Amino acid sequence: MTPGRHAAPYLVGGAFLASLVAAWEIAGRSADSALAAVLPPPSQFLSVLLDSGFRIGLGSQAVPLAQSILSTLLRVFGGMAIAFVAAVATGALLSLSRFATWCFSPLLYILAPIAPIAWIPTAIVVFGISNVTAVFIVFMGVYFILTIATLAEIRRIPEEYLTVAANLGARPGERWLRVVLPAILPGVFTLLRTNFIAAWMAVLVAEMVGLRDGLGAIIMMGRNLFNSDLIMLGMAVIGIAGFLVDRLLMLIGTRLIWWRV
Amino acid sequence: MSAPLATAPAAPAPVPAPPIFKVDRLTVAFPERGGTEVAPIVDFDLVVEAGRITCLLGPSGCGKTTLLKALGGFVVGRDTGGVVYRGRYLTEPTPDIVMIFQEHNLFPWLSVRGNVGFGLRHSPGEPAARRARLERMLGTVGLAEAAGRYPHQLSGGMRQRAAIARALVTEPKVLLLDEPFSALDVTLRRRMHALLRAVWTETRTTMVMVTHSVEEAIVVGHRVVVLGGRPASVLLDVPTEGAAYRDRYDPAFLELQKRIESLIE
Repeated sequence: MTPGRHAAPYLVGGAFLASLVAAWEIAGRSADSALAAVLPPPSQFLSVLLDSGFRIGLGSQAVPLAQSILSTLLRVFGGMAIAFVAAVATGALLSLSRFATWCFSPLLYILAPIAPIAWIPTAIVVFGISNVTAVFIVFMGVYFILTIATLAEIRRIPEEYLTVAANLGARPGERWLRVVLPAILPGVFTLLRTNFIAAWMAVLVAEMVGLRDGLGAIIMMGRNLFNSDLIMLGMAVIGIAGFLVDRLLMLIGTRLIWWRV
Repeated sequence: MSAPLATAPAAPAPVPAPPIFKVDRLTVAFPERGGTEVAPIVDFDLVVEAGRITCLLGPSGCGKTTLLKALGGFVVGRDTGGVVYRGRYLTEPTPDIVMIFQEHNLFPWLSVRGNVGFGLRHSPGEPAARRARLERMLGTVGLAEAAGRYPHQLSGGMRQRAAIARALVTEPKVLLLDEPFSALDVTLRRRMHALLRAVWTETRTTMVMVTHSVEEAIVVGHRVVVLGGRPASVLLDVPTEGAAYRDRYDPAFLELQKRIESLIE
């Protein structure tokens, strides 16, 4: 394959995006455009950022944009990492006992559809306005679905793998570590990536309604100040950061957990 | 493909081989939907000698795979009889008897070396000696250069060679093979036959192989057992030692092949 053909999707995608932004910029630039008030063009909302030296907020409360991005990302990654490990562990424990699976399955299926956003009021009451709240909300948004996925992946493991491992002398614990775990990891991780968007949204909502920092808080601040530049800036940063994280997860999926069972 | 292996030399002088398996009134039945059950093997008797390759041949559904699984302890029959292995009834799989399945043979997340070495930690010997054995086994099956590759990067023949190496590196007493080469093309199959004979010459491992290819059974085996009917019975039990049976154009070979084929049809 030629490198040119390999790059084509990226070039076309990038060019299309660039022309959309350019059209937006031109339409928003023209004098007394109604569009500029609601959807300020990039030149307008980006200059706000430059003027304030990449800090957002009022006076002494202003925080660097990088710090907002970082705290949102840490919340999402923290919650997702804890949920991932916990879900694999729960799924594994449940798979050891059919009785336990029967007991807990209904609970999982009842809790899984509750949107993480619905946990926000409870979480704020229990944990207060803190990072724990945000991490908890991400956790609730991902944990149940991943536990269900882990159980499904364990059921999907070809029996021959376990028979072969046992036949070659592997004890139950070793079979779990050397066969079950690697066999389920790719599938569960793919679902984690799919659910990243949900986790990302949950944190943003939590930041908008409760926590006072992070990317969601920028949007809320813009709303309170009737500052559409700030709103647009927040949206652009959220979109780009989310895109980059998804790419990162995809890279982990294709480079580290690449095999298919 | 690397390391073409010479066919095994003429069979050793026929010394009476001691039995390693005694199938004694084995009955295996599986429950079916609707409460009935199907019994592919009823009151079956067979003796398998140690240190030889025995091929089980028969049409699909004649119970040969069930019999093979019973030899490995993967299937346990009714307690009216069973499989006696070295004087004891088998009730579960043992690392002494390793089975190579038709499918899902290799772990996709491990390299060839990782796969072949999977059971090594449970096999006897010092770590250094075990590692040396692993490298030697990779060489024996011609995968020394491909040791770092992953199963999805291998051809079908390489995968089966890796599976054979993984089973043999732990030095089991018995190797059970369930139609191991059925997914390979003719040329590759013939190379695998030569390889299997060469490995046997080196290790003298007892092997029992299930196949539905008459040619394969005669070429590889020291003895061919033809099964048929439902429940299974032995239609023919014939020794296939000697140079004539290593050459598939030999009149004796063709004669036997014809005889078996007419039995199966």
